[in-house]
Amino acid sequence: MLKSDVDIVKVIESKFGDKVQIQLGLLGTAAVNTNGLHREILKAMVDADEKTGITAITGVDLGANLGVIYHVHTAKGFFGLRAEVPKEKPRIQTITDIIPGAAFHELEVTDFFGVVFEGNELKGHFLLSEYWPEGIYPLRKNVNPAEVKLNPAPPEEKMHEDRKIVKFIIGPQHPALLEPEKFAVTVDGEVVTKVEPRIGYVHRGIEKSAESRSYIQDIYLVERVCGICNPCHAYGFVGAVEKILKTDVPPRAKYLRVISLELNRLHSHLLTLGHAGLEIGYETLFQYFWRDREPIMDLIELTSGNRVYASLMTIGGVRRDLKDTDVPKIKTTLAELRKKLPFYRKVYTEEPSIRARMQNEGVLSRADAIKLCVVGPVARGSGYDIDVRKDDPYEAYGEIPFKEIVYDSGDTWARQNVRMDELEQSINIIEYALEHMPKGPFRVDVSRYVPAGEAINRVEAPRGELFYYVKGNGTASPERVKIRTPTYANIPAFLKTAIGENIADVPPNFVSLDPCFSCTDR
Amino acid sequence: MWKRTVSHIFTKPATTKYPFVKPKLADDFRGKPEWTTKTCNMIDLSGTQREMGFDVQAFLNTNCTVCCRDCPANAIEIVEIDGRKRPQFDLNKCIFCNQCIESCPRNAIKGTNIYELATTDKGSLVLKPTLKEAKKQ
Amino acid sequence: MAVDFWLIERILIFPGFTFILLLTLFCDWVERKIEARIQNRVGPLVAGPIGLFQPMADFIKLLTKEEIDPRDAKKTVFKFAPLVAFTIMVFAMCFLPIDGASVISSGGFNGDLIVILTFSTIASFLLFLSGWASSNPYGTISSARVLTQFLGYDIPLFIIALTPAFIAGSLSIFAIAGYQVNKAVPFIIMAPWAFVLFLITMQAELEKDPFDVPDAESELVGGLETEYTGAKLAFLHLTRDVQIVFGAALIVELFLGGPYGPVIGGLPAFWYSLWFVLKLLAVVIVTEYVTTLFARLRIDQVLSANWKIILPLAVLSLMLTVAMVTWVYPLV
Repeated sequence: MLKSDVDIVKVIESKFGDKVQIQLGLLGTAAVNTNGLHREILKAMVDADEKTGITAITGVDLGANLGVIYHVHTAKGFFGLRAEVPKEKPRIQTITDIIPGAAFHELEVTDFFGVVFEGNELKGHFLLSEYWPEGIYPLRKNVNPAEVKLNPAPPEEKMHEDRKIVKFIIGPQHPALLEPEKFAVTVDGEVVTKVEPRIGYVHRGIEKSAESRSYIQDIYLVERVCGICNPCHAYGFVGAVEKILKTDVPPRAKYLRVISLELNRLHSHLLTLGHAGLEIGYETLFQYFWRDREPIMDLIELTSGNRVYASLMTIGGVRRDLKDTDVPKIKTTLAELRKKLPFYRKVYTEEPSIRARMQNEGVLSRADAIKLCVVGPVARGSGYDIDVRKDDPYEAYGEIPFKEIVYDSGDTWARQNVRMDELEQSINIIEYALEHMPKGPFRVDVSRYVPAGEAINRVEAPRGELFYYVKGNGTASPERVKIRTPTYANIPAFLKTAIGENIADVPPNFVSLDPCFSCTDR
Repeated sequence: MWKRTVSHIFTKPATTKYPFVKPKLADDFRGKPEWTTKTCNMIDLSGTQREMGFDVQAFLNTNCTVCCRDCPANAIEIVEIDGRKRPQFDLNKCIFCNQCIESCPRNAIKGTNIYELATTDKGSLVLKPTLKEAKKQ
Repeated sequence: MAVDFWLIERILIFPGFTFILLLTLFCDWVERKIEARIQNRVGPLVAGPIGLFQPMADFIKLLTKEEIDPRDAKKTVFKFAPLVAFTIMVFAMCFLPIDGASVISSGGFNGDLIVILTFSTIASFLLFLSGWASSNPYGTISSARVLTQFLGYDIPLFIIALTPAFIAGSLSIFAIAGYQVNKAVPFIIMAPWAFVLFLITMQAELEKDPFDVPDAESELVGGLETEYTGAKLAFLHLTRDVQIVFGAALIVELFLGGPYGPVIGGLPAFWYSLWFVLKLLAVVIVTEYVTTLFARLRIDQVLSANWKIILPLAVLSLMLTVAMVTWVYPLV
């Protein structure tokens, strides 16, 4: 159900004619074989539509060549630009001068596949640890990670180099972060001048691991990329596989999936809003938000059997049905949560200490947001109105009315307000879905062997747009699973907004982009 | 805000005092899977099912091992007990996804909502399907 | 030299060291319970009946842990600063009249208000030194913040503490407390503006929310306590708790009439101690309530609040008190 923007396809056709091949309907709106012209095509797209940005860059091992697929989103469409480089000389030109937000994605492909992007070279490792030897690229098919010999311990970093400028390390273990990542913050007095990230502490090799397991096992593997947004990951994978299989999911299953995804959004936003309170020292607010999150966890347990890992999605539908006796319980809990929302809204707008700490801090302008390709509430808090549920409706979102929340100021306060308002929208969506739940089966049987083909799927996770690319090859295991998580796209925004502010504002600013490092590192 | 905080001093705390008070769980809470011997139809198989790569021929010719193949955590192992090959559940590795319950074509595995499985002896968490255990069920 | 057993008993047991220690642990329990109840939680529950032994259990647990000293820390300061700070705070507490007489004297001396305020400043300074000696960037930044904050807020603290001294006409704590009893009107009613300002300034001195900056967990990991382990950490925590009790006791003495209150049926020492403890608990509950109510301000906001708001208000309050004493009170 893509709203395709035929104008962009026309632009590409008119400018490049027969030098490229366009296949409509594949990989989104269209897949384009660039034949070495990826920079020119991207430049043409950026000129034609200001909301063009990179969603992900996938590396694929195609035997003799390495494929690089640029997944580009525009205002109304989604494109896959294919490029290929030979394995002996894997060099390709970078696109970071056209779209700065592609930097992290290119570094990842370099780290995993060995493709060198000229103009954005990687020194050392990006996601892999320092113990991993150079020159061995784990996601290539000939590499078996179990047989790789790791390097001995890398040399220690010296901390105090220059006494005047203090390099202040946030992480890897730090009370401000839920998960380990290292940010070397260079501080001049109390003002931040530079932030250097080092990610990859939670890297578990899930993409490689998915290639040696069956599709059913992969649902559970992929779910465990992140604990907070796990149904979104499960749905991302399952949706892509269903597109390759070309199966249609029964309508009841679609509504049940929407309910599971929106319950997940509720609990995740309550978690973040509480965590934001903790960062500014407001423990009372933190405890209140988490107290109100507990009934939602109980609802998730009621509908799916477990408080955290919902494990509700499967290929072909959902695994269990919603009992009619459970529906009143869901409605009462949601009604109680709805009654508490005005209190929280009042606290956020009127409490002086929150406004003093959060307003006008960590400002991300709309132009920066578009250039850095940020997603989710971070984008919607800066006036950049992207939401996969509206731009590219999936499951039952096309039939359910709800509002897209956008704030314009771009500071920490705006982002948290976006999440606060989305709470109410989620409650509306769940109630509507419960009212209009169609009857019928909740699951269809599918074959275990997925034919050769590739598909993409985009989900609006609580933190932003989650992107999946799955390629099947006719066996019972996928050939390539590529996951692009929202926090991965949002970290460059933090590197930009942290510059020039106090150290004391770095944690609230950081938490406002809702980091989830398990997602980032996979 | 200050009104709410004062009133909270006098309201009941929201904490449930686990483990002194146990919570009430739904029946279909995903807890420990239990295996019943009656319907699992494991017959003599050649040794190919131990590998986790898919062996199409073995799958099509034999009656089962679906639980073993579908387990995402590789927690089910086929062992030979009392002359027949049966699945052995290693609860140390189990992630309680209940996929085995769904996959079993003969409904031989039942779900329970037992989750208090903490123990000091890891060996006791490996459920061996012996006849003695079968009788207990 | 005759050994004065009475004096030794007063110093060591009541109202001396043991009493102060137990009072500190009890106030810690009260704080945690109040904070928990406001946050709709239970608070300490399991250690002892309704969790009363929890602070004691925490203290003993820390004493049993291994002590790790960083290689680059300044050894002597690192090891002894917490202990000396604790000692000084307990010594400062010994000047306050608790059961009608203080630990070491029965009448105090003129000027002991300034002495104990100085002791409190020295103890805070020692806490700053302990963070500074840790050779850890978190400790360094945090101790710099501690120093800035408590030195800045000491000025309005002294000025406002002079208000009851001015009304009572003496710098002796006994005289101030006694004045309130003689006139049967505690200073909280005679000079309420000073009371409110003193509470706010005391919040800042004690580093409680919203002036929680040096203890900012989310940025500075442990603040000054980052490198401390084992018994030294136990004494650091205890010093902070004794500071809270000291601050509350000072408020009780200066504004609420000290330990004096109605004595029912003889035994003035018992009743005075009881009133003292009850008033202390009331002040602790109020300050803890204010702590849970607010978020944490940034260091520059804390400092601008001091120099732009609190200090001018303190000076104004003193001028207002002088005016009231000279012209208004003789009429009443």
